[in-house]
Amino acid sequence: MNMMTVKQQGVWAALLWPYLLTASIPLDCKEEQGSLSRCPSISQEKLLDRVIQHAELIYRVSEESCSMFEEMFVPFPLRLQRNQAGYACITKALPIPSSKSEIQQISDTWLLHSVLMLVQSWIEPLVYLQTTLDRYDNAPDMLLNKTKWVSDKLISLEQGVVVLIRKMLDEGMLTATYNEQGLFQYDAQPDMLESVMRDYTLLSCFKKDAHKMEIFLKLLKCRQTDKYNCA
Amino acid sequence: MAVSSPSSHLLILLLISCLDWPSTPASAFLLDRDHMTTSAPTEPHFTECISREQETFRCWWSPGTFQNLSSPGVLRVFYLKKDFPTSEWKECPHYNYSNRECFFDVNHTSIWIPYCMQLRSQNTTFINEDDCFTVENIVRPDPPVSLNWTLLNISPSGLSYDVMVNWEPPPSADVAAGWMRLEYKIQYRERNATNWKSLATQPHTHQGIYGLHIGKQYEVQISCRMQAFTKFGDFSDSIFIHVTEILSGESTFPLTVVLVFGIVGILILIMLIVVSQQHRFMIIILPPVPAPKIKGIDPELLKKGRLDDLNLILSGGGMGGLSTYAPDFYQDEPWVEFIDVNAEDADAGEKEDNQGSDTQRLLGLPQHVSHHMNSGCSNTIGFPDDDSGRASCYDPDVLDHDTLMMMATLLPGQPEDGEASLAVEEDSLAVEEGVSTSERTLIQTQTTGPQTWVNTDFYAQVSNVMPSGGVVLSPGQQLRIQESTSATEEETLKKGKEGEDNEGTAEKKQKELQFHLLVVDPEGSGYTAESTARQISTPPCSRMSGEGYQTIHPQAVETKPAAPVEDNQSSYIVPDSPQSQFSAPVSDYTVVQEVDTQHSLLLNPPPRQSPPPCLPQHPLKTLPAMPVGYITPDLLGNLSP
Repeated sequence: MNMMTVKQQGVWAALLWPYLLTASIPLDCKEEQGSLSRCPSISQEKLLDRVIQHAELIYRVSEESCSMFEEMFVPFPLRLQRNQAGYACITKALPIPSSKSEIQQISDTWLLHSVLMLVQSWIEPLVYLQTTLDRYDNAPDMLLNKTKWVSDKLISLEQGVVVLIRKMLDEGMLTATYNEQGLFQYDAQPDMLESVMRDYTLLSCFKKDAHKMEIFLKLLKCRQTDKYNCA
Repeated sequence: MAVSSPSSHLLILLLISCLDWPSTPASAFLLDRDHMTTSAPTEPHFTECISREQETFRCWWSPGTFQNLSSPGVLRVFYLKKDFPTSEWKECPHYNYSNRECFFDVNHTSIWIPYCMQLRSQNTTFINEDDCFTVENIVRPDPPVSLNWTLLNISPSGLSYDVMVNWEPPPSADVAAGWMRLEYKIQYRERNATNWKSLATQPHTHQGIYGLHIGKQYEVQISCRMQAFTKFGDFSDSIFIHVTEILSGESTFPLTVVLVFGIVGILILIMLIVVSQQHRFMIIILPPVPAPKIKGIDPELLKKGRLDDLNLILSGGGMGGLSTYAPDFYQDEPWVEFIDVNAEDADAGEKEDNQGSDTQRLLGLPQHVSHHMNSGCSNTIGFPDDDSGRASCYDPDVLDHDTLMMMATLLPGQPEDGEASLAVEEDSLAVEEGVSTSERTLIQTQTTGPQTWVNTDFYAQVSNVMPSGGVVLSPGQQLRIQESTSATEEETLKKGKEGEDNEGTAEKKQKELQFHLLVVDPEGSGYTAESTARQISTPPCSRMSGEGYQTIHPQAVETKPAAPVEDNQSSYIVPDSPQSQFSAPVSDYTVVQEVDTQHSLLLNPPPRQSPPPCLPQHPLKTLPAMPVGYITPDLLGNLSP
């Protein structure tokens, strides 16, 4: 039930954001002449809530996808590789805090930017993952649907975080991404097992980063509402 | 570099796993414990690493079977934090040798970064690649705190109830800040049961337990885990739920049930009583409506509508009844019983006289009537041979027909012709005076035809006597209406008839009378019996004229031995005092005004001079047969067939 409501809210939020961002306009969009619909405006708190819901949902779905993939394709002895995938994660180089103490020390700006970095760095790999999963012989439709959904929602999440940054931090539009093409490399893996393991690593890393995004956004929200009692 | 390292790393991992897997005695603690095999000698290894709040974590090791390494300080814990860009093995920041624990505080704990653990002795390094983890994956939250329950409701039957359990998240978990997102699972069981019942995992801090039984004690525990993760924390301390039978609310339930059943039972009892005593209740509640009943009249008469008989009875001729109606001299009329009517001779007589005279016409009709009557049975209706006054051959069908005919005559469905004709005829018969042709024609014209005569009844009740001497006959109520109108006609006709009668044979009279008598319903022929008897009795004595009395010659009766009905007297009784008196000579029809105490018929009220010699003898002697429904078996022999 919780997932369903989050999902619905995420979908609803996703519908909203194109209105906000397609025309590259600020949160209170201007009314264009001849436009049939008014741009809806949304408060900062609500937007943050929806972003958090998006992140929660993305994490849940990514976790389900990883588990499903692991059960179907990964041999049992190799299943703990996810715990050692720190080396293989594409986002390991990002200057992102990784402990609670570090998170407590950084500013809101950096927190948001960290989230944005993570989101932007995972958009392409997920698209690639979608194509590789299609090449599998017996990939279940549910897995494909989940990964597809995650990749879509990640884009929405990026848009929301951008708006948040602009709104909360009064910064200009961030058009440039941090890591445009530095992290991910397309490698043709002829071996099936290697391909499976790479995808498995990809899914595990994404799951971890989704969890990271979710916690960052929640901590940010806590700071917004009650600055002194938050971690 | 970046390209080759992942693939090379993977290859290395694969090789290592393939090589080490069968020979690894101690599996990583991250795997399920079930996979651990402890048969072979075990190296020192880590038993478990757990984080309670995703901020710190602990790792425990065991020396295994290497007891020489069990002393504290011999084994050392090293960890590798696979952080970017550099990573190196570091020793445990905080040892706890008492329980062989290595504690990583907040400063040394990083989330989302893999840790690898290893044990080192002085000489060897015990490493297990599987002992790598990320902190968020080893989080097992503390159990929830502040458990309590509230009663939601109790079922109407009072046997089960629902509770709502509330709790607080573990204080160590920073749920408020969003650092951890928890979901909870409740399990409960009866006090002495062995199996736990688990409810669905849900993220709220309250949950309802439904369907608990009254009187039983339940034990409830709660544990939690991070959402979208797999490891649950320990269960909380148990709380006990116990609800006993209580409250007036519950006790009233059986009371209400008892009350309801009691009321229903009482109602059923009342219903049974009412049903069993239905008749009494019906009489009390709905008293029976008294049916129309007149003393002395058989209700059968009322049903069948024999008005002529009714009229006769009402006028005072009934058997013992209707004393209120009948005059005193009608109280005991034993002679009525012996009145008999012989219809068959009348029929024969009818046939012989088939002339165009009025009497013949009169005779003609009853012929039809008699035919109808005789068709049914040997004895006609007017031939009673029973005490009850009914014909022996009591054919209801025939009787109905006859009654219909009589009804027709009395209350003729025919137009006034029948009535007038009847009145005319009867009056004419009764009139002593001569009959004029006009009157005859009148009669004739008035007679529409044999058909009308068929339905008309020769039996007419003399309701009134005109001053001129005519008798007003009223076969029924309808005829009475015409009395006044046709009074004059009646008189003249009577006179005419009288003349004819005088000229005519007594036989005719007899026949007429006989025919009349034939038509009479035996039941009500008491009237006729009386009247005829009295009339017959009186005639020889009273040849009075002028006062309207007319006598009937009993000789006429006797002269016709063939006639079974010797008393061809008119059987007319005037219920009320005559209003008119005849001054003409005696005719066939006379008006009986009174009956003496000696049961003699007084056709005309004499001025207090009832001729003693004219006192009739007992009807039994003089009149063996009377046209009546009453006849006793004694008279049967006297009857001439």
